[in-house]
Amino acid sequence: MNEPATLGEALSRRGISRRAFLKYSAYLASVMALPASASQAIAQGLAKARRQSVIWLSFQECTGCTESITRSSSPTLEDLIFDLISLDYHHTLMSVSGDAAEHAREAAMKENKGKYIVVVDGSVPLKDDGIYSTIAGITNLQMLKDTVKDAAAVVAVGSCAAFGGIPHARPNPTGAASITDIVKDKPVINIPGCPPIPEAMTGTLAYILSFGKLPELDHLARPKAFFGETIHDRCYRRPFYDKGLFAESFDDEGARKGYCLYKVGCKGPIAYNACATLKWNHGTSFPIQSGHGCLGCSEPHFWDQGGFYKPLAAHAGVSAPLIGAAAVAGAAAGGAAAWIARRHQQRYLAETEAIDRSVGKDKG
Amino acid sequence: MTQQTRHTHTVPGCAEPDGPTGMMHALLREIADALERFVATGEVTAIDMRGLPLSDADRVGIEQQLGQGEVSALLTVAGQSEIWETAISGVWWVRHLGASGGVAAEEIVITRLPEILATHPDDARDGLVRLRAMLAAPSADTTSPHIATTEDAA
Repeated sequence: MNEPATLGEALSRRGISRRAFLKYSAYLASVMALPASASQAIAQGLAKARRQSVIWLSFQECTGCTESITRSSSPTLEDLIFDLISLDYHHTLMSVSGDAAEHAREAAMKENKGKYIVVVDGSVPLKDDGIYSTIAGITNLQMLKDTVKDAAAVVAVGSCAAFGGIPHARPNPTGAASITDIVKDKPVINIPGCPPIPEAMTGTLAYILSFGKLPELDHLARPKAFFGETIHDRCYRRPFYDKGLFAESFDDEGARKGYCLYKVGCKGPIAYNACATLKWNHGTSFPIQSGHGCLGCSEPHFWDQGGFYKPLAAHAGVSAPLIGAAAVAGAAAGGAAAWIARRHQQRYLAETEAIDRSVGKDKG
Repeated sequence: MTQQTRHTHTVPGCAEPDGPTGMMHALLREIADALERFVATGEVTAIDMRGLPLSDADRVGIEQQLGQGEVSALLTVAGQSEIWETAISGVWWVRHLGASGGVAAEEIVITRLPEILATHPDDARDGLVRLRAMLAAPSADTTSPHIATTEDAA
């Protein structure tokens, strides 16, 4: 029997109607904040698209990103993405296959030359010729370069692939680098998070399939649909921040009343991600709803931001009176503190880049 | 399907504020404007409920205000979907559920009939292929029908 030419045909052979596309596209339009009217165009695009070959490389990572995408909510609607893509190689899931898995990767690269998408989770060690992480005797750096050479695009999932992540944390003993540090001649999409929200990963892949182009990206190459607003912007505790009502510790009256967690270290004001709207575990909750501040895990170098439980203003060198002013004046002063915190983050990024350059120099 | 069996967004123990926010009346006015356009020009409008900052009280209030019309349908493809026309003719509620029963997508659609309920022309063509294959098969026996697939036909 011939291979189905389109996804529509593929589903049809399994007795699944085009309604599945309409349903998935309504879901996708919703999670990507596209106009609801866009769902018809998405459905038509998906039905006519060919199954997308995906090669998934895992480097210096903890497997959390794979855990996240394979648990993307229900095994029905949301998991339709696994009907839309052909996951030709996944290092972690196929590790038991050994040599055969590596041949599958090579075969997929040959058959889909110039068309496949490479998904990478994990950072790439550059120090000492990348010897700190190898697969089948091949360094991560070499495998990345070989695999990306004939790819259409690269998707860096998780903060390790997008920004270096925890392996990159000071003092970065392996010289861990992000994918964008290495891949310069292909489009790269960053989907950071520790782990990323599953819908951000599947939604981005489905968008590429539907429209045949990359979604709109921000200055850090993140899809704006998922990373266009801060956690703080969409946080249900935001009204407390605006009124100057804060938890001062995790067991005080303010914490019990669900006040804003800014003063106990919440990084929501500088963290661009969709946790506050899409949430986790089937849309059940997200860290702030569970009483813990946001760690800002979708931002570069979140691990080295100076302490998860220190308020942003403290990192920025903002005095106690200014935090007090935020409590009194609400949004205006709080906004000023957040602005100073962002400025601090930019300074921090500049410092980190200097360290990265120094690691690169060591290597050279 | 009754109103009582439908799934809601309520999460036990959820710390989010659940009182009315005033969004209900704003949304009802938006629906009225969309219905006016539909009546005048036939323009179809879909409103994504998940994209709106609605509390549980808002959702319940809107559902109660719009009420239950004459038509409801249960769709079973990639999980279940609940679709019903509200008591306001031309205003449909479309709720897609994940396997866990959580709401994966939800829209209010102002139209004659939500597109997902209609048979897609390609599906009708596939249906014809299956039916022809079933009739052409030597073992075709109308007293115990075999449900053929396009895979059989291929």
